[in-house]
Amino acid sequence: MKNGYGPVWVIAEQRDCRIRTVSLQLMGQAQKLAEGLNTTAEAVLFGNLMEHHVRPLFAAGADRVFLGSNPKLAFYEPEIYVQMIVRLAQEHEPEIILLGSTTMGRELAPLVAARLQTGLTAHCIDLILDENKILEQHIPAYGGLLSIICPKQRPQMATIAKGVFAIPEPDPDRSGEIIPVSVPEDVSSRLQTLEVVHQIPDGIPLESANIVVAGGAGAGDPDGWRQIADLADALNAALGCTRPVVDEGWAPLESMIGQSGRMVSPELYIGVGLSGEQQHMVGITGAKVMVAINNDAKSPVFDQVDYGVVDDCREFVPVLIEKIKAYQKNRVAC
Amino acid sequence: MIDFTFTEEQEMFRKAAREFAETQVAPKVAEMETTGEVCDEVVKALGKAEMMALTIPEEYGGLGLGYTARLIALEEISKVSVGTAMMLQVFALGIEPIIKFGTKEQKKKYLPALAKGERLASTAVTEATGGSDPTGIRTSYRKEGNDYILNGRKCFITNSHIADTITTLAKDNENPKAYSTFILEKGMEGFKPTHKEHKLGMRGCNTGELAIENCRVPGENLVGEEGKGMRVALGAIGDVGRGGMVGCALGLQAACLEASVKFANERILYGKPISNLQTIQNKLAEIKIDLEAGRLLGYRAAAIQDKGGRSSNEFAVAKYFTTEAAQKAAKMAVDIHGGYGCMDEYAVSRYLRDSFVLGPSAGTSDIMKVIIARWVLS
Amino acid sequence: MMNIVVCVKAVPDPQQACNIKIDPVTKTLMRCEVPLVLNPLDKNAMEAALELKEQFDTYITALSMGPPDAEAIVRECLALGADQGILLSHRAFAGADAYATAYTLATAIRKIGTVDVVFCGMASSDGSTEWVGPEIATFLDLPVVTMVEEIVECQRPQWKVKASLAHGYRLMQVQLPAVFTVTRELNTPRALVFSGIIKARKKSIVHWGIDDLGVPAETVGLEGSPTIVSKLSTTESKRTVEFLTGTREEKAAQLLLKLVDSGVV
Repeated sequence: MKNGYGPVWVIAEQRDCRIRTVSLQLMGQAQKLAEGLNTTAEAVLFGNLMEHHVRPLFAAGADRVFLGSNPKLAFYEPEIYVQMIVRLAQEHEPEIILLGSTTMGRELAPLVAARLQTGLTAHCIDLILDENKILEQHIPAYGGLLSIICPKQRPQMATIAKGVFAIPEPDPDRSGEIIPVSVPEDVSSRLQTLEVVHQIPDGIPLESANIVVAGGAGAGDPDGWRQIADLADALNAALGCTRPVVDEGWAPLESMIGQSGRMVSPELYIGVGLSGEQQHMVGITGAKVMVAINNDAKSPVFDQVDYGVVDDCREFVPVLIEKIKAYQKNRVAC
Repeated sequence: MIDFTFTEEQEMFRKAAREFAETQVAPKVAEMETTGEVCDEVVKALGKAEMMALTIPEEYGGLGLGYTARLIALEEISKVSVGTAMMLQVFALGIEPIIKFGTKEQKKKYLPALAKGERLASTAVTEATGGSDPTGIRTSYRKEGNDYILNGRKCFITNSHIADTITTLAKDNENPKAYSTFILEKGMEGFKPTHKEHKLGMRGCNTGELAIENCRVPGENLVGEEGKGMRVALGAIGDVGRGGMVGCALGLQAACLEASVKFANERILYGKPISNLQTIQNKLAEIKIDLEAGRLLGYRAAAIQDKGGRSSNEFAVAKYFTTEAAQKAAKMAVDIHGGYGCMDEYAVSRYLRDSFVLGPSAGTSDIMKVIIARWVLS
Repeated sequence: MMNIVVCVKAVPDPQQACNIKIDPVTKTLMRCEVPLVLNPLDKNAMEAALELKEQFDTYITALSMGPPDAEAIVRECLALGADQGILLSHRAFAGADAYATAYTLATAIRKIGTVDVVFCGMASSDGSTEWVGPEIATFLDLPVVTMVEEIVECQRPQWKVKASLAHGYRLMQVQLPAVFTVTRELNTPRALVFSGIIKARKKSIVHWGIDDLGVPAETVGLEGSPTIVSKLSTTESKRTVEFLTGTREEKAAQLLLKLVDSGVV
């Protein structure tokens, strides 16, 4: 029985034997939290043929990696993964478990938390230790910030989206222990993955774009939405949206920027016909210039940007596109 | 009548009607404004949403709901499109004589298809020589065996070109004091819609003329007693027709208020939204006062009807009040919008045009006062 | 007979919910009258159940945990076509986090009896944790698939469903009974119609409190929630807006100039 705190864990993810970016970002934060608790930072990783691909986790801050490397773990199999993680957690009693807000993370986290009878906070935008060394999980809500804690049950669990924390500077000199984990014999077959299909999205990926144009309900209809898409094209920008746009069916869920969507950090962000709702705005970090176009002068979006245009976006956007195209033509001519 | 709240079920009716109007009618408004024509998809959607079935008895395929449910539906639909609400309200108006005075055979023959929206209805009373004065009509009938031969022209008939079943008022050729109501059907020889009106408002609702030339109408198409047709035709207009106009007017006022509030909050003058200015606030208050009062008048009249009473007088008061108020509201809404209120892109310009058509429909305001005076003096 | 439970939630109307704010002085939620509506994704969950009802002999229960006001949305589910409604409403259930909510719902589902399928919307528009469906599954010891975008095969006892990935999907084979959380892509919810509202008159909504569920108070509501909100704080905006003025043309030209000057374009 150890004194002090159990380890800080990251349930890491891999795809095609590469550790996913969000896992590295969380590993960095886990190491910081572990330092604060005077304990170790560890990762749990499942996959197949992963033995030689674990290094980046150590470089990112892991002291130990529990590695399940087995053909049965090649795909995310919910029932198997959950059972293995729960058994590991019951044995090693981590203080904190972090998961990325990926499809896998969002499903695994509640399944593990419920089995361990503990609390869980979704889509955190920050994690700090409070004065009692309890994990304070920050989520944006109601125009401000909620601090959630899980005072009694352990482990304290949270999911975090990619981009909330920075990728830590890899330390190539760091190394650690790999603890192999075997697949249990008694795994149920109620649920099986038959097939996993990845479809490459078209368009500029949001996370790496320099310019992001995001549209909201103010687009009004598919024609209005197309104008906003045209603006993104004209600026060679990635196109994002808010939840109402997804609900209307003008854009897919993958392009939704926000707390439970994608996180972006462009140089320039232009919000068109959106109200600046917190759930969306929290998905944008570190932009050099932020612009909003909205026909309501009182819209909260104008409290969060550098330049504001009060106008009907359906009238303004075409004019702006004209000016941009004229400017680009002149530049080319020079 | 002490409880002024709607029941949970009525709130659900309102929700269903609002969702219908916003998803099925709103997208078609621009098209209806441009063409002025009835939009087939809207008619089909109305049928699918059971809007034609509201007041038809259950045994004939209807929903057997009362006039409060009807008023709720019309109010919500009118908020999005007054023309559509008008078209719908006249469907019910055309059907009412059959429900109130029709024989079992007539009800069985006509009502099920009307309830489904497979057949559409209208009523034809007004002529060049009499609208406010229905006794001035010249369309006449004469008996020939079991049939009747009708001759005449009807004008300003809503749904003239789309209706399959039209309850029509005509006067006895022999006896100028006797009137009868007949069911005329689309395609009958000697009966056809002719001129289509192009109205300044309620576009998307069809209004036109009907020409009746030696039209042979079988005896079984007579509604109610021969010679007592005035009661048949006008009874419907009194309750259902006026009640329908109240729904149209209330919806329009609600739309005017909503558009005005939105604009007033967005338009910045003197560094602040104009909703901060008293003159704007005054106008908003007036629209709101009229809307509150109109709702009470309308729903009270509907409640009386639902309890089994007759409320054509109460509806005359409500019709007068709400249609006048709607015209005022539309004008104030346009004023609040300033120059923008004259532009097509701003819905209030359409509201103003729509509001004009509310007045003369189902009886002018002057006629309403005559009826109300008669009520007072009786 | 297939027994389906659809878990539904009454949420503040998402179109108006942005008006609920934290008071910067008292650091509590400012009171705001926002009407409750049926959580949008729960409509997709209901639709999934109703489409199955068209194919198979099914009995659909709409189950909700909420304040007494939430009864309206349960009745809406009856009007859409559910056969019965159950509202879990009691002081003791209040203040529940996702864990306690899922525990309470799972207890109710166990009380309902044999259940073949549980549908939940993938997330609620207010809490949006996405936890309740999977946690219900865990408490009931059932398999769960989240983010279902298509039901490929639904012949008992095994279903094949497609679950969304960020870019793509995974095809899952599931043994019933099971829990499914659904996405917007799964179906188009049917409209509320008057005849449905009329039919709902004959259907019942049962109210269950903590005694009906027979669980101790520490397992539900605020007491049963492992997580709590320790504080509310407001965030300061780091930017002050410069409004561009003039005609539309002028504003567009100015904007472009600003963007070019700052080097981002």
